[in-house]
Amino acid sequence: MTSLFGDWAALMPLLVLAGAGMAMLLVDAFVKENAQLGLFSAVILAGTAMVSIGLWDEQVTAATPALLGGYLASDRLALFADVAMCLGAALASLLAGGYLREHKLDRGEFYVLLVWSTLGAMALVRATDLLSLFVSLEALSLGVYCLVAFRRHSPKSAEGAMKYFLLGSFASAILLFGMALLYGATVHTDFAGMAEALRTGETGDGPTDLRLGILGMALVLVGLAFKVSAVPFHMWTPDAYEGAVTPATTFMAVVVKAATIVVLVRVFFGVFGTEMLAAETSGWPSAVFGLAAITLVVGNVAALVQKNVKRMLAYSSIAHAGFLLVGIAAAAQLDEGRLTTETVSSVLFYVLAYTVSNVLAFGSLIVVGSRGKEAVSYEDLAGVGRRHPWVGVPFTLGILSLMGFPPTAGFFAKYWILEAAVNAGGAMTYLAILAVLMSAVGSYYYLKVLVYLFMKQPEQGAPVAVPMRSGYVVAALVLSSYFVLRMGLAPTAYLELAQGASYQLAGLPDPSAQPAEPAPADEAPTEVAAAPE
Amino acid sequence: MSNTHDTSHDTHAPSVAVSPSEARFEIVLAILVAVIFLELPVHAPAAPANLLTLLLEVPLMGALAVLFIPRQWTAIIRRFSLAVMVIELWLSAWLFHGDYSGAGYQFSQDVEWIPSLGIRYAVGVDGISYWLVLLTTVLTPISLYVSYNSVSTKIKEYAFSFLLLEVGMIGAFVSLDLFLFYVFWELMLVPMYLIIGVWGGKDRIYAALKFFIYTMVGSLLMLVAILYVVAQYHSLSGEYSFALADLLRLQLTQSEQIWLFAAFALAFAIKVPMFPLHTWLPDAHVQAPTGGSVILAAVLLKLGGYGFIRFAMPLFPYASHYLGPTLAVFAVVGIIYGAACAWVQRDVKKLVAYSSVSHLGFVMLGIFSITRGGIEGAVLQMIAHGVSTGALFILVGVIYDRRHTRDLADFGGLAKAMPIYTTIFVIVTMSSVGLPGTNGFIGEFMILSGAFVSEELSVWERVFALFAATGVILAAVYMLHAVLKMFWGPLDKKANVGLADLNHREAIALSPLVFLIFWMGVFPSSMLDTMRPSVAHFIAQYDAGWRESYSADALRLRPAPGEEPADAEGEDEGDAEGGAEARAERPAADHALAMVGGAR
Repeated sequence: MTSLFGDWAALMPLLVLAGAGMAMLLVDAFVKENAQLGLFSAVILAGTAMVSIGLWDEQVTAATPALLGGYLASDRLALFADVAMCLGAALASLLAGGYLREHKLDRGEFYVLLVWSTLGAMALVRATDLLSLFVSLEALSLGVYCLVAFRRHSPKSAEGAMKYFLLGSFASAILLFGMALLYGATVHTDFAGMAEALRTGETGDGPTDLRLGILGMALVLVGLAFKVSAVPFHMWTPDAYEGAVTPATTFMAVVVKAATIVVLVRVFFGVFGTEMLAAETSGWPSAVFGLAAITLVVGNVAALVQKNVKRMLAYSSIAHAGFLLVGIAAAAQLDEGRLTTETVSSVLFYVLAYTVSNVLAFGSLIVVGSRGKEAVSYEDLAGVGRRHPWVGVPFTLGILSLMGFPPTAGFFAKYWILEAAVNAGGAMTYLAILAVLMSAVGSYYYLKVLVYLFMKQPEQGAPVAVPMRSGYVVAALVLSSYFVLRMGLAPTAYLELAQGASYQLAGLPDPSAQPAEPAPADEAPTEVAAAPE
Repeated sequence: MSNTHDTSHDTHAPSVAVSPSEARFEIVLAILVAVIFLELPVHAPAAPANLLTLLLEVPLMGALAVLFIPRQWTAIIRRFSLAVMVIELWLSAWLFHGDYSGAGYQFSQDVEWIPSLGIRYAVGVDGISYWLVLLTTVLTPISLYVSYNSVSTKIKEYAFSFLLLEVGMIGAFVSLDLFLFYVFWELMLVPMYLIIGVWGGKDRIYAALKFFIYTMVGSLLMLVAILYVVAQYHSLSGEYSFALADLLRLQLTQSEQIWLFAAFALAFAIKVPMFPLHTWLPDAHVQAPTGGSVILAAVLLKLGGYGFIRFAMPLFPYASHYLGPTLAVFAVVGIIYGAACAWVQRDVKKLVAYSSVSHLGFVMLGIFSITRGGIEGAVLQMIAHGVSTGALFILVGVIYDRRHTRDLADFGGLAKAMPIYTTIFVIVTMSSVGLPGTNGFIGEFMILSGAFVSEELSVWERVFALFAATGVILAAVYMLHAVLKMFWGPLDKKANVGLADLNHREAIALSPLVFLIFWMGVFPSSMLDTMRPSVAHFIAQYDAGWRESYSADALRLRPAPGEEPADAEGEDEGDAEGGAEARAERPAADHALAMVGGAR
């Protein structure tokens, strides 16, 4: 692909999606009737994922960052995140294609917002500078605020969007303040320069102010923790998830979370991966450790008492964020003054598995309801699995995968995070034990879905949910079922992708690459990976 | 949560009426199945090398095929699922062809599954697991067959669950890779959960959830322990492996062993179930449909004991040596507590469920005695318990189908109304009580004699045996009490007059079990001979293992058998000799007793 497009090849995924987004705006403006925007955006997003996969083996030259003024990178971490997010977004827009039509909400701007938000997410995972990070984070967030408020006449939707917007702005302000402090400490906004300044203690313009740097780091962590909905920054999550139309909820649950986790990995491993800042007991890993522990406990326990399935899934997504943070804390192991990043692959795999399982669960929830009879509570699910086994089967699969049950994707995802935690040893082992105990707690509320699907019947006189019919939703369910089972039975290929992505983050030699080409340090694909010599 | 709807399972018609010609057909077919099963090992060609994979594939493919049969064709679904299980039974007859004269694994297969993590598809059977696989393949078709008398709704899902359950059970018994074992272990959970939760009694959802969450807590902690062991193996050898053979080379420090053993023991003790973790069992049994109870009692519970023998104790010998006597105390408490609880039950099914707690306490006592007699007796008792408790649950199901009550007070004088039923019930009761000549006797006697001479149980071994022996007496008390209440005395309840005796289906389901009760009771050596080398190997390995940890508390990796031929062999021999010497030191009288217990 490099031969065709030169250095622009690295930007192809972004360009393809941006072009499609503009085309969709035009289509939406001029073709009023029967615009199959759901299908169109799904195809475009899947195509973007393909382009990203195509770039996987491209040797990205040092010219690429220069082309963008050092603001964006194009490494395998970003490409991997592209695949996960585009897959999630494509499936979400397929779900929307069925859902919005069924509920008479079919307006084109939904897909346009979804595509532009995904573009923001893709830029976010590529960001190698505080400025590009903030701009793309806002590009992602603004679109999602609108998506939450999409059902304009529903007070719940407005409430969720308002909460999300206000708290989101607040978090953005905190993030921005942290960035300002970091700039003050290091006199750099690009990650490579910041990392260098933090490691050597020299900014090139006087000594680095480490106290300011630590404060800035803490504020950045808070800002990002808000976006991954880690406790105690999770308050917006249940309301926003409940208020949003379900495809938008799916999008939030998978794409926003994936993008933020990846950017968290990039910033904290790339910039703050110095010996002092990433020390096991006093550095950011211990903060992530604490966040993970409290997120796991609160997310799982709060999900137990929910009566609304969407709220339950919202709390379950908080619990999953806790699991992801366990993975990040486990991966942050210092080795001769540098962070090793092999175990980041477990986090990345989790993101992928979580994406497909969540789409499956939300998609099944969508398909259970129909116009005027949307399924929201457990009671609405009563007996659906028996009356309509082809709705019950994907729902079961999705729930089992979220529960982490073999042989589904969720099992291996959970398994590798646990393996990383146990391998890290020390206090991480206790976190792993907490994580499995909380998984056991979690199995209760997931099983409750199965209980209602298969073992209960609707109350006398209660409204009976009627499954909707939509080719789009069925297609999304079939695809995500395939991925859930594929990653559960033969996860090797996906794990290798994740490993490739995590090796390149650290500038480590990629084991899958040809041994004949040792990559010189100055050709290291990312600025983040600032070679230590 | 209301269960007001869908009480169809509680109100099915008593024993589906079958035309005489169909009954004759099924009887002839059953005899044919039995004859072929018994004749196959003699005449069949050499067993295929991938026999165990075949045993896993057949029910799995059957389960998938059932999904594609239209749900209205209930007769076809019934026959098809049974046919799959019968084919599975025939295939399992090939297991007799294995060479069980050594402790090695037979029909073993070892293929990479996820190479980058050292996860392999490694399966094999030895003299212990092979009997458990056979128990599974015999009991599963019987329990499905007998279910068709009473389960009349959602036959398709029922057959699917049973076939999937069979895959999980056989897989767990043959896995030689801890990861694979964990996958199958978890795989069993969902079908059983559905069987209890969908086709169960009034409080089925509570029982199913309790069953699921109890098991889940234990197994998740076991997963962390497995990962820890693998991490330690990785740190010493530089490679990942979940293979049991590799991990057995690892010698962990004493404190590590104790924590890891505790995690494994929790998972297995919940499954057994050992006192005080048994509380899910009565609920699950009472609520489960007959077929589910049979398979739960007969096979699923055995995985607990099997897990101790195959994984927990060989991997952490020091910890099991250290904690074994404590667990044996819980086993003995379980024996007496289970028996006492059974005594006061009015619900027959609950009575049988508590009797399981008591009987499985014997199994655990036998395992922790670490004597040949004790362990062989424990394995034999597992099989015997599977057969006789399976039969008891079928019998309880029979009377429940007719009377829709299980309360002892509602019966009385049934011997006059149902003579054949009474005969079989009394035979099975005798086996459960442990009458000589039935299978229950051999296992319990061997366990008690093993415990009596056990060195492992330190100075209290006779006390253990004494208290455990009271369990045998109590078993006679509660079982005979139930028989008395149900069958003897005047036939004074109107509803009990004119009850139909066993129909052909129930008779077909019970007759192989009755045959096994006597066969195992009279010819136990046919089973004991094949498990002896495996048990001897287990004890030798265990003794050497804990002594090694005891004398040098260190984290190290023993050399692989093929790695440094000269050196490693020498060391292995040394270990074996050490173990042999240790046993030779036992007093001669005790040894003789052990032989008596062990041999006949």
